Order: sequence, then structure tokens, then C-alpha cells
Amino acid sequence: MKTNPFLIAFAVLTFAFLIGPLIIIIGTSLSDTTYLTFPPQGISLRWYENIFEISAFRRTMVTSFLLAVGGTALSMLIGIPAAYAMARYRYELPAILGNIYVLPILIPEIVLGFSLMKSVAVGMDFPIMAALLVGHALLVLPYCVRVVGASLNAFDFSIEEAAVSLGCPRWKAFFTVVLPNVRAGIIAGFILAFITSLNDVSISIFLTGPGVSTLPIQLLAHMEQFFDPTIASVSVLLMFVTVGVMAIVERTLGLTFLTK
Amino acid sequence: MTPRLRAWALSAPALLLVLLFLGLPVLSTLTTTFGDPKGPFSQYAAFFNSRFRMTVLWRTMEVAVITTTISLVVGFMTAWVVARAPSRIKSLLIIAAVFPLLTGVVVRSFAWLIILGKNGILNDTLIWLGVITEPLSMLYTQFSVTIAMVYLFVPLMILTLVGVLEGIPQDLTEAAASLGATPAATFRQVILPMAVPGLIVGSVLVFTGSFTSYATPQLLGGERQMMMGTFLYQRAMVTFDWVGASTIAAVMVVVTLTTVLAMSKLARRLNPVAG
Amino acid sequence: MTVSLTLSGITAHYGTTKVLEDLDLHVNEGELVSLLGSSGCGKTTTLRLVAGFLEPTTGTIQLGERDLTRLPAHARNIGLVFQTYALFPHLTVRDNVAFGLKQRGIGAAERRKRAETMIDRVGLTDFADRHPANLSGGQRQRVALARALVIEPPLLMFDEPLSNLDAKLRVDMRVEIRRLQQANGTTALYVTHDQEEAFSISDRVAIMNAGKIMQLDTPEVLYSRPANTFVADFVGFENMIPLRAVAEAGDAVRAEMPGGAILTLPKSQFTVPSKDFILATRPEGLLAAQSGEGIPTTLGLRTYLGRAYQYQCDTPAGEVKANGPLAQPFDSGTQAVLIPQPEQCCLLSA
Repeated sequence: MKTNPFLIAFAVLTFAFLIGPLIIIIGTSLSDTTYLTFPPQGISLRWYENIFEISAFRRTMVTSFLLAVGGTALSMLIGIPAAYAMARYRYELPAILGNIYVLPILIPEIVLGFSLMKSVAVGMDFPIMAALLVGHALLVLPYCVRVVGASLNAFDFSIEEAAVSLGCPRWKAFFTVVLPNVRAGIIAGFILAFITSLNDVSISIFLTGPGVSTLPIQLLAHMEQFFDPTIASVSVLLMFVTVGVMAIVERTLGLTFLTK
Repeated sequence: MTPRLRAWALSAPALLLVLLFLGLPVLSTLTTTFGDPKGPFSQYAAFFNSRFRMTVLWRTMEVAVITTTISLVVGFMTAWVVARAPSRIKSLLIIAAVFPLLTGVVVRSFAWLIILGKNGILNDTLIWLGVITEPLSMLYTQFSVTIAMVYLFVPLMILTLVGVLEGIPQDLTEAAASLGATPAATFRQVILPMAVPGLIVGSVLVFTGSFTSYATPQLLGGERQMMMGTFLYQRAMVTFDWVGASTIAAVMVVVTLTTVLAMSKLARRLNPVAG
Repeated sequence: MTVSLTLSGITAHYGTTKVLEDLDLHVNEGELVSLLGSSGCGKTTTLRLVAGFLEPTTGTIQLGERDLTRLPAHARNIGLVFQTYALFPHLTVRDNVAFGLKQRGIGAAERRKRAETMIDRVGLTDFADRHPANLSGGQRQRVALARALVIEPPLLMFDEPLSNLDAKLRVDMRVEIRRLQQANGTTALYVTHDQEEAFSISDRVAIMNAGKIMQLDTPEVLYSRPANTFVADFVGFENMIPLRAVAEAGDAVRAEMPGGAILTLPKSQFTVPSKDFILATRPEGLLAAQSGEGIPTTLGLRTYLGRAYQYQCDTPAGEVKANGPLAQPFDSGTQAVLIPQPEQCCLLSA
């Protein structure tokens, strides 16, 4: 059955709506003006150079990257065993556990950020970076558990039992037999978590402080102070990171994975 | 080690992280609201009696509902086209929908700052078309927040609904046709009912996301269009009224939790098969 | 009121691949014709063409007086039973069955009555309010059947309707389907890969291969008089022995095998079609014996079938399977003679 041409036209418009603003940002970033304008007037890369001249951006890029890697790593470290336990020991564990791991998504992020600030950063007197790490690890835990969990649910555990029966100790079997086969889930989970952490605002905004900030927060601050094309160029940089990440996903998994 | 012990040992770190750093803090936030010396519910009374606070609440609700409705309509129509597209085009379209999703909320909201500003493209185009002579002040209005929200959430809705539509087996549409149903009748009597649970899930995601949003209202609404997210931040980090902020947080949690639960029940009732 | 179905000169493509070539098929009024073949032979494609889910590149489809060729699927008024049943999961059994009636604008009360009558007919009276998810495979199959029958179409089509059922149920259901089809006298097209199923219930069977009909005949004819080697092999004539007629000896023909052995075939039992021909036999068509007139061979592996012993035999014409009596099992390596049994043999032109 052929699709209604009116609907097709509508879909085209929708996608133009989705992609258009991003193109506008790219254009704006290349403008040789000190104010934001589209179409760009004169083409220049100076606003890209400017990013690296501003120490705040340099620092926060590093911080954001470290947080994303560290937070995701931490989350994976505790999330993968939890997901494994849920898949492998389905009958020994209450089903509600799955809902607990997903709480960071059910609770509004901003409430979580505020509560973390109040109880952890202030209440438990955590250093800023530690609080941020915990916050981001929490933020991405649902991705680590759920996405890896989906791979594990599709995994045939009799392979693991075969390994054990052949003399392989259980912990070793996990690393040599289970993990390699759920590689896809781990990569997908890592990617989603990484991006989520990188782009986070609602939690970071409560936990950042003097000297320690993340790139999105710094971007917000810069917008309030300067409102120049640097914002656009940083945005484009972030878009490049996203493209790079999507390329990795496409290479390892295929992108339609994300409609599931 | 018994299997049960092993299972709990493996789950313990994750559980501890959530309970210690989410469960306790959020619980603490919620209980703070009851600690007012004027009485356990006085904070809530103050909230619901305050005209300003209620305006903020209603405004947030309104934006969330409008965003959800528009996303639903736009998303469903677009998802329909994507789900039936030939596979090469479909992959491209999905990438086109995923890319904005992975781009951060700051970038995506910022785009609308540029577009809707006094010197922005929309004003420039309208002036060029002769529709207006003076640039319109479109920022820091409910309109600017809403359109940026819709921009934020349409991709999510599209992807959710493509999954839903693809979950409807092809042979059902063929069976309906063989029994005499025109394409329109098939849509109304077969596809739509089967898509409803998924539509509900998508709507819940968009509603709760837009209701609790911070960055977008902050950038495009500012103080003139205070919404629950920005209000919470202001109470917490500007006025340092942590009890007040906790109350806002509590209202947010109740609204989102109620929505999720109500919608889950609705979805389950509308789909007795629970396929 | 039932009609005939005629396909003329049908060619069909999936993209650039040709799947059906110049296909002609005529199904008489009230007849049940099966399309039989293995995956990829084109039987399902043919059915989908008639249903309207695929457009032919060339050719016409005529159902009684109506030319269906360019009609959209929903206008063709054909009752379809799908392999996966395709029941609407969000509707009850009753609403599923009544769906076609609803599309025809029949009022709610009348719909209900007709649907329930049909539901009774297929023995699902107590299940009318259930949803498909709460039915067994066999029950779902019957709902699919009821749904297609209740609209009283001039043509019924079945796309491998029983392949998802277990063996016993399959046998019971095919009888049920045939009974219902004959009771209404509705013309029917039935697609299956199961030979026994097709032969047991069809008036005629079309054996298909690579987009062509290899032979269209009654099951009896197909079973004993296949027209070509493909059909012969399909219906069980596993052994193909090439022969050349070399002499006539009174009321018999003498024919030579590769390797030189001569077979004497009595004219009363065998009709030789051409000088070079093929003797096609079922395993039971070659009787393994110690002596007699037949193909000399060395017996190989012996397997036990319950009703006979079967031997893999090496002959100059290749390896053949032959059966031997239970009373006299032979050991591997025995020199023996394979005697053709006429009822399980047929002669084909080479």
C-alpha cells in the first residue's frame, strides 16, 4: 500500500523542522561577526579558535569528558553485575529490583539534582567532583542496566554452564564467555550513557561550583554573559562528538537499534 | 556461595548507589516539606494558596500538555511515513531523528534563541515577506518555550512510535484488507487501536519530560515565564529557600508519578491482550 | 453462489526477480485445488496475486464474471485464511469473526447473529468473548476459518493454514476444512508444502516448481502417472533408471541399462513412451530377490522400515533404494536382483 503523499510532504516538513535549526547553528558559528546572525556574514573560524582561548571552556571540556567517562565507567562497573544477576538469577531476586535501577529516570532529574546537592554535597560534605561523579553515575545507571540487561536476556546461559562444566571457574567464564557475547549491549549502553552525561544540565546545575563546572553549564553561563558566536561553535563541536558517537554505534550495531 | 547469595552480592553495589544517593536524598527532600513548625501540611497549603505558585504550576501543565499533543500528532504522522519507508530511506530518516536527540538540550534550546530573537531568522523572514514591519518580541513567552519544547520532544515521539508501528504485524493489515476494509478503515479499526498503548507510553515520556524540564524554560522563558523546573532552581540556589524548593520538588514528583501510574493503568485497560 | 477462478498468462516479479512465468490456472466452480511445492516454488506468490497483495507484471485474474487484475485487495471479496491466522489481538473472537461483515455495512444485531452461528459451526461457542491470546493454536485456526467463511465469499484461499499445528490436529483440521468447503460448495485454492495434506482433501493438485506448474491433475493421477521427472520424484519415485529400448520380444520390450544389463518389460504392464526413457520407481517398486528377471546389484546398507527392509543398492545406473520382504533379510554385500513392480513404477520420456 502506498503512503499518502500529503503525509509524506508533512514528514518532509517535520524533518526540515528538526534539522533546520541545527544547520542554522552551524551557519551562525562561521559568521565573522561578534553577534549571532544567520545567514552568516563572512566566513571565519575565529569563533572555533575562541573556544580554546577561553580557559573556562578548556577546563569544562576536560571536566565533562572525565565525568562522562568516569561516571559511565562507574555505572557500568556496578550496573553490569546487577543486570547479570537479574538475567541469570531471575527467580532468586524480586522483580522490583528492575524498577529500582530505573528510578533515576522516574524521578524528575531536577528533583534528583536538588536532593543530591542538599543531602550529599552539603549534607554528607562531599567534594564537588565526587558529588558530580555520583550524580552522573546515578543518572546513567538505567541505561547501563537496561540496555545491557536486554542483551543479557537474549543471551543463552547454557553457554556459560558449558564453560563451567568444562572446568572454567565461574568468574572467569563471565569474562571469557558472557561479556564478549553481550558486547553489543555494553557498547550501546556506554554510548547512550556517555552522551547523556555529556549533555546533562539538570543534575550538574546543582552540583557545579567555583572552579568545577561542566561544558553545558559553562555554555549556559557564557550565553548569559557574552551571547556571541562562541556558543554556536561549541554547539557545533558537541554535534561533532555526537556524530562521532553515532558512527561508532552504526559500525558496531546498526542504528535501528535505537527504535527498540 | 548459594545462587541467591551470589545474586544479591552482585546486585548490592547498584542497589546501594540508588538507595543511598537517590532514595535517601529524595526521601529527605520530601520529608523536609513536612517539617514546617506551622504544621506538616502548611508548606503545601502555602503552595496551593499562592497565586504565583499556582500560575507557575498551571503554566507548566499547559506547556506540557500542548507539547505532548503537538508531539503526538506530528510524531505519529511522521512515524507512519518512516515505518513504511523503503529500508534505505528508513535508515536515513531514523538517523535524522536520532541525531537531534543525541545533541544536548542546551544546543537545541539555543537554536531557538537565535531563530526567535529580535534579529533572528523568523523576524527577518517575516519582515522580508512584508507580514510585519517591526520585529516581534517572541522570546521569553509561552510560545517560545513551547516551540522549543516541541522541538526537543518530537524526535523522541517519532522514534517511540516507529517502534510501535513496526510492532504491528503486516499480515493483520492484509487480513483486514482481505475482509473488505479500505485503508482508512484498516487504520481506524486495526492499526490505531493496536498503537494506542504505545501512543500512551510516548505521551507519558514527553509529558513528564516537558513538565520537569529546566534548561529550555530557563533559556527561552527566563523569569517572565517561570516554570516548575526554573522555579525550583531559583528557590534552591538564588533564594536559598530549601524548604520551598523541596515543596516544589514534591509537587513535581507527585504529578509525574500520578501521570505514569494513571497512564499505565489506562494502557493496560485499553489493551486486554497486554501483547 | 460459487464461481470459477482463471489465471491467464500470469508473470510476476519481486523487484527485478521473476517469480512466476506465464502461469495458467483454471479452478472449476466448487472445486478445491491445491498448490503444492517446496519453499520458493511460487505457490504463495500465486495466492497473494489472487488476493491482491501483489500485482502481476502481465496476465489476468478472472473470478467468475469479474476481472480482479487491477482491483485493490479490499474490493475482491475473497475469504483468506492466513498461515499465522492474523487474528486481530485487540478484538474478541466474535468481533474477529464479524469484522468482514462490519466492513460490508451489516448492522450490529445481524452481525452478531451471523458471527455466532459461524462460531457454533466451528465448535467455539463458549469462546466467543475470549481474545486470541487466550486461545490455543487449533482454536485460533478455527476462528480464522470462521472469519473467512462468514462473509460467504465466492472464493476461499488457504495459505498453509495448518503448518503451525501439531500432527494430529493437522489431520483433524484438514478434514474439517474440506467438510466446510464442500458443505458450502465454495471454490477454494489451497497452498501447502505437505503432499499428504494436499492429496487427501483436494479435487485436483498443481505441483509447482520455480514459478511454473509442473502438472495439474487429480491426486490419483499424480500419484501413479506423473508426467515428468520432477513430479515423479516429488510423489516418491525416488529411483530414476535411464533405459534404452533395444528390441521387441513378442509381448515385451527389451531395454538396456547403463552397464549393459537388459530388462524385459511386459507390454501388458509397461508402456514404453520413447526409445530413450526413464524407469522411475518407488523403493517398493524394486523388489530385492536372490534370483529373477531384473537389475543385477550388490546390496548395501540395510534399514528396517517396519513394513519391509530397505536396501541401498549400487547399480550401474547409480545408487537406488529397493525394498525386500521381512521374511528374508539379506546381508550387506549379497548379490541380488531388483525386480520392477509395475504398480509402483512409471515410465517417463527422457
